[in-house]
Amino acid sequence: MDLVRDLLDKQVRDRRGKRMGKVDGIVLELRKDGPPRVAFVEIGPVTLARRLGPAFGRLMQAIDVGFGVSDGAPLRIPLSKVRDAGIEAAVDLEAEETRAWDWERWLRRHVINRIPGAGSRL
Amino acid sequence: MLKVVLGIVTSIGGFVEVGSISTSAQAGASFRFRLVWALALATLCLMFLIEMSGRLAAVSKHTLADAVRERFGFNFHVVPLAGEAVLDGLVLTAEMGGVAIALHLLTGIPARWLVVPVALAVWLLLWFGTFGMIENGMGLLGLVTLCFVVAAMKLGLPWREAAGGLVPSVPPDHHASYGFMAVSILGATISPYMLNFYSSGAVEEKWKESDLMTNRITAGIGMGFGSLVSFGVLAAAALTLQPAGIQVDRYEQAALMLPPVFGRWGVPLFAAALAVGCFGAALEIALNLAFAMAQAFGWNWDKNQRPAEDARFSLVYTLAVLVAVVPILAGVDPLRLTLLSMAVTVIVLPIVVLPFLVLMNDEHYVGTHRNGWLGNAVVAFIVVMGFVLALVAVPLEIMGS
Repeated sequence: MDLVRDLLDKQVRDRRGKRMGKVDGIVLELRKDGPPRVAFVEIGPVTLARRLGPAFGRLMQAIDVGFGVSDGAPLRIPLSKVRDAGIEAAVDLEAEETRAWDWERWLRRHVINRIPGAGSRL
Repeated sequence: MLKVVLGIVTSIGGFVEVGSISTSAQAGASFRFRLVWALALATLCLMFLIEMSGRLAAVSKHTLADAVRERFGFNFHVVPLAGEAVLDGLVLTAEMGGVAIALHLLTGIPARWLVVPVALAVWLLLWFGTFGMIENGMGLLGLVTLCFVVAAMKLGLPWREAAGGLVPSVPPDHHASYGFMAVSILGATISPYMLNFYSSGAVEEKWKESDLMTNRITAGIGMGFGSLVSFGVLAAAALTLQPAGIQVDRYEQAALMLPPVFGRWGVPLFAAALAVGCFGAALEIALNLAFAMAQAFGWNWDKNQRPAEDARFSLVYTLAVLVAVVPILAGVDPLRLTLLSMAVTVIVLPIVVLPFLVLMNDEHYVGTHRNGWLGNAVVAFIVVMGFVLALVAVPLEIMGS
């Protein structure tokens, strides 16, 4: 598998088929007896921002912590739990309950649900 | 069949908006039929691009933004993403300004205050409406813009002169403004937001390879019809405003192209066409910005969900509409803003289109449905030509005015 081509930046869907996030980062594990191997994939804005440069990473971390959204740590998923679903990757998790949706939950609670009609459709 | 008809109707609605109406009116009023070539080239380019984005979605099941992030990585994707965000913001402002001006023509209330109810209406439809309702409803209403084509016919379109316009002919004076108008027409017609919007619709409707024929027909005929309306505006302006020596510096002047044909219904009809076209475009652009952001960052996006289910997605269009109101409230002239955004479009276009062309030649994404050399050549040529033209004409126009 070509990691950067086939894994990084791929769309990840959760158990229910909801779009959960993108593969924002890949964590390699160095081993004494053998080549490094992929241990985890990460989903999270700080991981993503860090790819643009360390300063962006720190900025995003400060925003995360400052607003009280999260402690800035990404969601880490062991590679063994990631299923290749062809076009996209699938994981056996509930997006709603993971760190990947910290911002989603925070915005829902503090912004969107305070606007009338957020829960309805015509 | 229904799918094709709906697709075509939607494209007419999506095509006709503040940019195409104002640039076509200006082009006709100032240069008669001398800029028909720019409209024809831009339409050809748009047909190819729209067909490609539908094909990308049908074969690879990716929207354009999804594919760009995956294929080129996030560090590259931020560049076109930022470009598109700025552009969508500018154009959204211009479109809402267009609706406000149309209402101003009908009511006399200053446009800068009317933009508030306009923005509220845009947001309410996005917040409570569904994708299908927005697309099909606006598409049907968009048929009112065919009044420009009727006007051009009734005015006795000089076919020979109009066809002659397919060959560029720079007038002896006004080089810079002729070039600038050509750039504006390209920018007004080839709107980058349409590419991602169209592919998002196709992914949401789960297009398959068996839909490729429908896609081709919709792209070809739909964009053809849309451009027919733009041509109608250009011709009506050329046949009424140009002989009267009216240059279009304000929308009030553009509205004068219809009364010679429709009498006292002329101005209200112009206002209705402008309002419907711009309103539909405003909805699409705000939605597209939310699509583009959601697809760049992997958020859930589904126009048929309740806002609370896609909080981040809903927040993007809400903020976009809020921010876009500010310049109009501050008194920026929507027509000037429109022309500016058309020029910016042409400059941003290469960074959106060139990665797109790479994708359309990548077996990984489109398999055996890769682009032919003709499609690649046409699109690359027009985009690069527009870019060069913009680099030359925009500074000249700014110095000249």
